[in-house]
Amino acid sequence: MLRRAFLTAAAGGLLVLIGAGAGVLNQVPVIPKRPNPDTETALGWITHRDGRFTLTLPRAEMGQNIATALKQVACTELEADWDVVNVVLHATDMSRVKATVGSESVMLFAEPLAQACAALRDALAAGQAAGEVSVTSRPLADLRSLRVGGLIGASPELTQGREIVTGLPLYAADTRLPGMLYGCVLRAPASVEVQSGPLRWNVEAVRGVPGFVAVVEDCGPPIGKAHGLGIVAARPGALEAIAEALDIEWSIAGPHARSDIARAVDVDARLSDSALPHVVLDGAPEDGAWDVDLRVDIPIAAHGPIEPRAAVASMQDGALRVWAGTQDAFYIRDFLADAFGLSAKTVTVQSCRIGGAFGGKTICTVEAEAAALTLATARPVKVQWTRAQEYALGFHRPPSSHRIKARVAQGRITDWDHAQMSSHIMFTAAVVPSWMQRGTDMFAGDGGVARGMAAPYVLGRARAAYDMVRLPVHTGPWRGLGAGPNALAIECAIDEAARMAGVDPLAFRLAHVADPLLAGVLERVGEIAKWGSAPAPVDGLRLGRGIACGTYKDTSHAAAVADVAVDRQGRVRVSRMWCVHDCGLVINPDQVRAQCEGNLVWSLGMVLTDDLPTDAGHVTAQTFADAPIPRMTDVPAITVDLIQSDRPPQGAGETAMVAGPGAIANAIRAATGRRPARFPVRAKDLAT
Amino acid sequence: MSFTLNGKSHDIPPDWADEPLLFLLRDHFGLTGAKFGCGVGICGACTIIMDGLATRACTTRAGEVDGRSVRTIEGLAEGDVLHPVQQAWLDHGVPQCGYCQAGQIMAAVALLEQVRDPSTDDIDAAMDGNLCRCGTYTRIRAAVLSAAERT
Repeated sequence: MLRRAFLTAAAGGLLVLIGAGAGVLNQVPVIPKRPNPDTETALGWITHRDGRFTLTLPRAEMGQNIATALKQVACTELEADWDVVNVVLHATDMSRVKATVGSESVMLFAEPLAQACAALRDALAAGQAAGEVSVTSRPLADLRSLRVGGLIGASPELTQGREIVTGLPLYAADTRLPGMLYGCVLRAPASVEVQSGPLRWNVEAVRGVPGFVAVVEDCGPPIGKAHGLGIVAARPGALEAIAEALDIEWSIAGPHARSDIARAVDVDARLSDSALPHVVLDGAPEDGAWDVDLRVDIPIAAHGPIEPRAAVASMQDGALRVWAGTQDAFYIRDFLADAFGLSAKTVTVQSCRIGGAFGGKTICTVEAEAAALTLATARPVKVQWTRAQEYALGFHRPPSSHRIKARVAQGRITDWDHAQMSSHIMFTAAVVPSWMQRGTDMFAGDGGVARGMAAPYVLGRARAAYDMVRLPVHTGPWRGLGAGPNALAIECAIDEAARMAGVDPLAFRLAHVADPLLAGVLERVGEIAKWGSAPAPVDGLRLGRGIACGTYKDTSHAAAVADVAVDRQGRVRVSRMWCVHDCGLVINPDQVRAQCEGNLVWSLGMVLTDDLPTDAGHVTAQTFADAPIPRMTDVPAITVDLIQSDRPPQGAGETAMVAGPGAIANAIRAATGRRPARFPVRAKDLAT
Repeated sequence: MSFTLNGKSHDIPPDWADEPLLFLLRDHFGLTGAKFGCGVGICGACTIIMDGLATRACTTRAGEVDGRSVRTIEGLAEGDVLHPVQQAWLDHGVPQCGYCQAGQIMAAVALLEQVRDPSTDDIDAAMDGNLCRCGTYTRIRAAVLSAAERT
């Protein structure tokens, strides 16, 4: 592989890209616009014709089953039967809706939808048969769908559930168009943060490959700094043979200055340099010896959705249409219009059901590849990433390195100091160029890294601060953003502090919790798990039980208890989990419970499996074998208890991520006497 | 070359013979229920039933199914009447994103055809190769048990 400066080789390619207006360095990138929904906009989501309603889902459907929950709201407010409301996924030919992120779909969208549906119901009752309805927001108490009763608090059959179990096409890659071809954009096996691109390739060799259609040099904007070479085939299986026959010689600049990622985020090395610039808690702990002094390291992790991202693009009569499994169809539309010099009016992006996203399908990548290849070939083109491309070209949970110290006196924490070093989540390098990131670093910090760093406890003189460093691997939002890793580090430290104080960890937490709702879930999980009772000993196994809790985005609360069994080789099995969850009013208890279950499985993954291997600054994982996720045999019986309340509905998609990992880590500590501080835990560190 | 697909005989076009069976099903026959997840047989999203056994369509060459019988999720229901496993999946609200579920369901159907009354250990062993990132495993376990009671 040739490693040298990229500029000369790339000059031609760059000129072409500039001509197309694409992703040019030092140009301001397209920034996602994320307006909160209002009642006026909501009127565009619901229509009536001949006794039937169509609800155009203003959210991406990616497994939170929000199509079902919002249909429950709509049916209730419309006083309509379940079967007369048809739910369709949105395209960008409606008013812009905010990206589906941050567990906001019920929290922010239920009320505007309810207001719009109530207005439509009243207009129909008043005899209006056509035209637009006007809406005046009514008091919440007048909305029927924001209190328990009828469909609210019930769990009807999942919308699209029947399509899923019968295998009907729902996902982007299921889209089939007449004359459709199959494409792939090949990129160098290197960090996406060093300039790379194709230098030479064997175009003669590919002509003989059955199914070969085209090699496309002008294949859309780079991903990071990785320029590609497009290939197109008549059949999807031919792409691999074409890629092999092409035998591309890559130009790769580098190495990246921070290719030793663990060193780049080493919190102690960073602290020895200077104070951390971004302050979350500004108390001033007193100098002196600490009772708890923990170093917690959590590595890069992939989202690992079973669906590798896919898009189908088609250009007809000057209009570009793209089918995508994306959390933000409007951002994809804006990005494509900018990248290919098209008017936004001529680009339509159709949301498809997403086969798992978890924060990872928020930016434009595969959609631009499909668009470029359809523009080059004048045929519809489908692109679905390989698993290896998901790892190499996607963004991931940033690694984080934590130093947490606590001082304890008379059973209480008097001083607290949490320092964190990580990489970007909100202002991710996957979207924000480094020149711009220097500005956001200085003026805004990164709310994603900070999320959950303010521990939900009264901690005396408490300081928490962080910093980020741009890495050779792209990082970004991952279920719960910083909340999962921060809570894991915090809950480990709280547990150690309880030990130092000689106080039961549940009682110790209750003594430090100010929010009665958080205290409520803690007490309740203690009841359902029969906290305080010891599991019966099993020969050859070390058994332990742990507890943790937390608050997500100030308004949702969860507490969890986990039991683990650790064998002599240090292998951990989670044998039982309990979780209590309070997200205010619950529209669909079964699916909120499903989100909690999912978060607990993710919690298990955070502690036992999640780790994306890299080498010299680029991702080396190729398959699930290299970046394993929890499997059936890893998952124990799970009990979830929901607090149903009349509080307005809050988020549920990420909340239990603040409790599950800590409960498992603390159970391992209880079982083995060893504090796991490097995640995922390694058997060799726990063996006897 | 020909094979039986959901009970009907079909030719395998010669230019598709070297494609993975998954792409023959999805892109030639338009049966998009089986999904591409990893391409190397690890995740199980492409699981179909070949001659009665749960099989990875992504690592099976299309030409290999010559003379064999292949069943996909599209062939499970009889008209509007769902197969007991499909119905159990709905009753237990199993799917979150749903992408892996066609493979999960086919693996469960193959299991129940081999073992009428599986224990949870049987289920865990048979289903362990079908990954679900949403974490629906406890519901899959419950749905397979209740489908077993119904069949």
